[in-house]
Order: sequence, then C-alpha cells, then structure tokens
Amino acid sequence: MKTMARVLLILTLGAAPAWAVLGEYESSVSLDTKFMRGEDRVTSAQGYKLHQITSPAGAVVTEYVSPEGKVFGVSWRAPVTPNLEKLLGSYITPVQQAAQAQTRRRGGPFIVRASDLIFVSGGHMRGFHGSAYVPSLLPKNVSAEVVR
Amino acid sequence: MTLKRQSVIPPARLLAVVGGLIFMANCGGSSSTSITTTPPPPTTNNSVDLAVNLGPTDDYINGLFASVEVCEPGSTTNCATVPNVLVDTGSYGLRLLSGAVSGLTLPAVTDSGGNAVQECIGFVSLAYIWGPVVQADVHLSGETASSASIHIISETPQYPVPSSCIPTGPVGTPEALNSVSTLGANGILGVGGFPQDCGSLCTDTSTAPPQYYSCPSGNCNITAVPKTATKGQVWNPVALFSTDNNGVLISFPSSIAAGGAATAAGSLIFGIGTQTNNALGSAQIYGVSDQAYFTTTYNGTQYSDSFIDSGSNAYYFLDSGTLGGLECADNTGWYCPAAPLSFTVTNTGTNGTSGSLTFSIENFDNLYPTGYAAFNDIGGDSGNSLSTDYFDFGVPFFYGRNVFVGIAGQTVTGVSNVPYGFWAY
Repeated sequence: MKTMARVLLILTLGAAPAWAVLGEYESSVSLDTKFMRGEDRVTSAQGYKLHQITSPAGAVVTEYVSPEGKVFGVSWRAPVTPNLEKLLGSYITPVQQAAQAQTRRRGGPFIVRASDLIFVSGGHMRGFHGSAYVPSLLPKNVSAEVVR
Repeated sequence: MTLKRQSVIPPARLLAVVGGLIFMANCGGSSSTSITTTPPPPTTNNSVDLAVNLGPTDDYINGLFASVEVCEPGSTTNCATVPNVLVDTGSYGLRLLSGAVSGLTLPAVTDSGGNAVQECIGFVSLAYIWGPVVQADVHLSGETASSASIHIISETPQYPVPSSCIPTGPVGTPEALNSVSTLGANGILGVGGFPQDCGSLCTDTSTAPPQYYSCPSGNCNITAVPKTATKGQVWNPVALFSTDNNGVLISFPSSIAAGGAATAAGSLIFGIGTQTNNALGSAQIYGVSDQAYFTTTYNGTQYSDSFIDSGSNAYYFLDSGTLGGLECADNTGWYCPAAPLSFTVTNTGTNGTSGSLTFSIENFDNLYPTGYAAFNDIGGDSGNSLSTDYFDFGVPFFYGRNVFVGIAGQTVTGVSNVPYGFWAY
C-alpha cells in the first residue's frame, strides 16, 4: 500500500507541469521549497517580490516574482550547484545545449545568452553561485540587475 | 605502474628554523628577520615541477600539469606515476581517471553502513565527474599523504550517476568528464585552501548536499561521510603531509611575454614559511571568506565573489557588454580588444589587507592560432552585467609571481585573523 502511494505520488508530480519555476506561476515556488526541504522567506521590493529559500544543505535559492505572479528570475548560492532542471524548467534546454558546446574556456564561469534566457554559473568548489532570468518576463521598470 | 620508488626522507622537524624567525605582522603584510641556528635540520624535498603545455589532448591553454605518484596504502612497490595531472587551487583533493591507476588495488572508503562511498563533483561548467572514493598513499616530491581518501573518476562507472547530482538533469546532460579527451588531463590535484572537499555539511545526511553517495542494491543515495584524515571525505593531500602541510606556493619566476609562449615552467612548493624555498618574504596576506572569496574593486565597484584559481585558464572578469563589446568574433566568450587593454584593480582580503595590481588583455582571436600553451594576457566574461560579474584571477595571474595558498585552520608563522585560509602574493 505504501509502495502504491509512492508510485501515485511520483506519477502525480511527474505529470505536473509546474514542477519547475522559472516562467511559471508563483505557486510553483512551494514545490522548490519542498524539494529543497527549505524554509521560504518572502520579501517585497520595488516592482517585484522575492522568495528566498534556505535549505539545511547550505543552499540559498532566490526566486523573483513579477506583479503578474510569474517567476521571472532565479538565483542561487550554495556549496554545490542546485538542481537547475527543477529551477529552470523548460528554460533548461538552451543551458544544456550551450553546456555541450563549451570550448577553450577551462575552469571559468559559464554564461549563456539565449534568445529568451540569460544564464550565469560561477564560483568554485564549496562556493557556487549563479542566476537566470527571462528578459521578456521582466516587470516594467525593474532592471535585470536585481537578479543576482 | 612503476616498481621503483625514491626513498621518503622521514618527517623533518623544522621547529629550530621556525623558532629562529621573528615575524612582525602589520596590516596583513609581514616582514621577517632570519636568525640562523645551526645545524640546519634535514629537509624534505617539497617541490614538484609544473609544466604548462598543451597537455595530453594537445589543446589545453594555460593548464598547470604535474606528475603524482600513488601507491597502494603501505606499499612501496605497487605504485603508479600519473603524469599530466592538473594543479588546481580552486578545488580540494586528488581525483584521477580510473585508467591511470588501473593496475593498483586501492581499498574502498565505506560509509557507516559498510557500503562503498561514491562521489559526484560538479563544475561551474555544469559538467561533472563520478566514481568511488578510495584510499591511497599519495607521494608528491618527498612528501607523503598516507592512506589519503582520493576520488577515482570512473571511465566506465559501476553505478549510473544519480540524477540528483547533475544540475542540468539526466536528459541532454553536458558531458561527464570521464576520459582524457574530455578532461584534458589524467586527473586534478586540488590544493586550495580547505582541508576537505565538503566539510561539516557532508558529515550528516540531514545537511549533506548531493555529493557523497553509497549504492546498496545498486540504488545510489546521499550518504554521510566524516571529515576524518583517513577513511573519510576526500582531502587536500597537502593537509595530510607530516610536514609542510599548511599550504602551498605556486611559483613562476619568469613572466610570459606579450604574444604568449609555447610552454612555461614553474614549481608547486609545499608548506609556507617552513623551509628556505617557501618564505612569505614581501608577500601580502589576503584572508578569504568561508567560501574562499575576497573582494576586487574596479572603477569604484566592489566585486565580492572574486578569487584566485590556478584551475581557471584565463582572467575571467566583468563582461563584454560592460566593457563596450570586446567579444571575439571567432572565439565566443573571449575578449578581443583591437589593442592591448590594461586594467588596474584593488584586491581586499577579509583581514583588511588591500593592494592594487595591473594586468593586460590582448586579442584572443589573434593569439589562439599561434598554437602556444602559455598566455599571460587572455581573458573573458565572468557574468552578464555588473550585478553578476566578478574577478577570477586564473593562470595568467600566476606567471611571474609567487602565489601562496594558506589552508584554513593550519598555522603559518606570522599570519593571523584568517580563519578560512588566505592567498598571499
């Protein structure tokens, strides 16, 4: 019975389109909070809202929400890079493609400038950080610089 | 596998020399007066040659390569000398491709459940390495890290890599760096400023990030691994040496001319202020944060996620937008100024030490076709805008300098107030 419940849970989550957050509605933040076993702290800024999720594993993920209720950016600071597939959702594709095409830059930061995604990954062992945002989802009068 | 091995000189006691040095610390800098005591104690050979060349894949720019000897624990005959291992001050611990030590039987490190510990390490490039943690005696010059935990990069993994440790997920992942051709080296020797590659977080499953795993019945789950000097987490082998264990000095006495050089040569010297060849001299001490960062100031803006890293092959700093479109036409991500550009920045350590330095950037599209391996003036973006930019002082920074990396928690005579270690240059 317990196994059955687990299978159902996996099926349900697997089918949910809002498992990932970037570009999704604010409600999807709670799924990340659950995945990270973290605590969510919400603060307001001029023209947008921030969810800051802190996990017991030392990761801090910040999600930036527009007045329309959509996540337009995410950032992280953690001992290891968090699961970006879950954080970026469908926006992971240009990152995966760019990751395979890297050349000659060795050990340095990783930057992706795709048509509708700006992504940076930086730092070093025991101290990773990065961010991603969707330019077309940036709220009016909010600079992309806030996603950091 | 080699069957011969140089004899290891017993741990030298250097207290007489250390005791004879009077250090005066001020503002992070230090000056020393040496009072020679006689007779000098026997010294351990503490220097390994560093070669900058294109490496085993003939395409590596600004890679610092060294040879490392590993032996089965306690053995002086069952050993392998592994050439072309990258020396990386941005990581901690020795990681070798499985093929480089295939002739050795290295005992597994196990978790509290008795299961072999596996490790997954991600890079900022989002590529990863995966394989078991084993014990080996690591010999570097005359220094030995006995029964050190090292990471074997599986070329043909025994277990599939867990999806939880691949940041981009299991579909369309970036490549695993699990071969000479993908890694560009036979391994990585992490000699940065921490003793272990994870630390306290990994000692408890309630706080452990996706890094250490064990795979009972073939299913890999995150497991707790202690920080113990043996049979625990992967250690920076330098911190396990019986002498010269408080850090390293990377020394490249000669600078590289504009236009680059086919090759370059330097030394990786163990210990700081422990022998005549690793004195701090006039080097300034820059304390680092708990994640090994310091602050670089450029044009009035502070970049607090900056660091020095021999595992980065260029100056990675600012971004081409901020710099007014320096992006190369041929080599994406690199800077291509029409004429050499000079940058003067100020670095500030957590201990308050501050100092300025100047470096130059030349056109990478012009330099790259030379086929040279060593360039002191190449760079590329670190971010996308002022808010994500930082300064990563990679290998070019090391040319013509003595750069010290002090290990957190270890004692260096005359140095204080640096709980997370330091850089000095």
